Amino acid sequence: MSCIETNSLSKSYGSVNAVDGMDLSVNYGKIFGFLGPNGAGKTTTIKLLTTLIPPTNGSMKILGIDAIRSPLEVRKKIGVVLQQPSYEPTLSVEKSLEKYGMMWNVEKKTRQDRVEELLSAFDLEEIRNIKNDELSIGQRRRVQVAREFMHDMKLLFLDEPTVGLDPSARRGLLDFIKHKVKDGLTVFFTTHILNEAEYICDEVAIINKGKIIAIDTPDELKNKFGREKTIKIHLSSIRKDLSNLLIGIKDYETDFNSGTNITIRSSNSEEVLLKILQILTTNNIVIEDLSAIPTSLEEIFLSVVNKSNASSY
Amino acid sequence: MHPVIRLVNRNLTISLNKGFLIWQVIFPLIYIFVGGFAYTTLIDSVPYGDKTLAYPAYIASGMIGFNIMNSTLVSGIIIWNDRRHGMFEQILVGPFTRTHYILSNVYTIGIVGLISAALITAVGYPLFFESVEFNLFTMPLLIFASVIGSILFGSIASIISTRLKSSEGFNVVINTVFLFFAFVSTAFYPAEGSPQPLSVAFYFNPLTYLVDVVRAGMFGNFDTFVAIEMLVLVTLSLTLFLIATKLLAKLEL
Repeated sequence: MSCIETNSLSKSYGSVNAVDGMDLSVNYGKIFGFLGPNGAGKTTTIKLLTTLIPPTNGSMKILGIDAIRSPLEVRKKIGVVLQQPSYEPTLSVEKSLEKYGMMWNVEKKTRQDRVEELLSAFDLEEIRNIKNDELSIGQRRRVQVAREFMHDMKLLFLDEPTVGLDPSARRGLLDFIKHKVKDGLTVFFTTHILNEAEYICDEVAIINKGKIIAIDTPDELKNKFGREKTIKIHLSSIRKDLSNLLIGIKDYETDFNSGTNITIRSSNSEEVLLKILQILTTNNIVIEDLSAIPTSLEEIFLSVVNKSNASSY
Repeated sequence: MHPVIRLVNRNLTISLNKGFLIWQVIFPLIYIFVGGFAYTTLIDSVPYGDKTLAYPAYIASGMIGFNIMNSTLVSGIIIWNDRRHGMFEQILVGPFTRTHYILSNVYTIGIVGLISAALITAVGYPLFFESVEFNLFTMPLLIFASVIGSILFGSIASIISTRLKSSEGFNVVINTVFLFFAFVSTAFYPAEGSPQPLSVAFYFNPLTYLVDVVRAGMFGNFDTFVAIEMLVLVTLSLTLFLIATKLLAKLEL
């Protein structure tokens, strides 16, 4: 049994299909990334899965529970950090954590212990007595995410949780999530920051125009879609005659920033590299540096989404 | 703990802060002790049924109804504040239903109304103790006025909260509504003796009915007209409550 299972899940607003016949399966104990361009349907999908809005068609089971028939039972077992900021403006950081735990019926002693744990884990101790409306956007976001860990849950939905956070806070949050997943939590995670997804996700789905267009582990996605490899050659001297020397060779670019840089992007990068190296050697041109850049998830994402947009025209 | 009680706990924590409680006492104090005694030179006494009330006692009793309206309008905007600060959606992805949320707001408004009424009664008591006729029949009238008045004005604030999104629009509407309710009523002055269009306008204002019921409960002047006013209050508060509930249930996320 999957932790999240949807079958032809759809949500329409008039003639617009925000989510269009989505079939999704997420296993327990994983961090599942959900990526897509703006307006692709990520937030609508999260709102459907968290039972905030009802679907137009299709079915969904969350933690084995029919989420359409028993939405309250689902909500009792999940945690949700929405994309939109949410906070109690008149309460202090400490008080808002404590009150949120009370709202989830967490026992008083447990609440007190968890407040201390989360203030430390999310670096909120110095601002514990400051009211939420006096905090910066990044601080409020940290409180919002920390708050969700006040209660027990089996599945956590995070809709762009790191927006507004500085790099160290972002990394701290991602590591905290990884730690919690080791204890059995399942995480459904949307982000625009693709190297975050690469860092944390066990499996990734790419959504565009309400449909899932690719779904696999980050490495498998790179194997499937990342045929193009990037190789960079740096020459110490500026060689404006390079284009004449490399006539007949395709799939490369040059720029003359601090010397001459040749960038090869091709599905046959090694073959192109060999040809260029032969020519450079023949012409006694000294190579200062050579590097291969691994395909990133961002490149995969752009490639997959662009293909999806092209095929829909 | 029942989910509605947990939400009421949360609502009261965010509503009943020190500033709110102090303001609930200071605001009517200014009206009662400053306005009340200052206007005594103009309005020495006010005829009330078969009695005559000193103006400070008249205004103090009016302030009970006024304070119920004032405090429950403030509580009723919990919905607007929740929408503005993202807590409306956050609560609804938690272990709560919309019904829990609506009921918790109703109970919060009722409790705040009762606390407000009790505070102002305690504060204004020195002014009206000579005229007061509390008994087993009139005390329930005060409780009735507190609860029904809270539901009525809380529902109005809830309706406004669900309809408006911008801060500017919200402030304009709430202040306009507040000013109309406050001044076109018998909270500060009697209807008798006012120009006819104004005295008629008073009875389009639910605050007039509320303060009349409060005064009947305090000064023991219950008659048929007060009974009709109570019926009007119940009908109006139920209708507004149903409208508020329906609007809240349909609020899109």
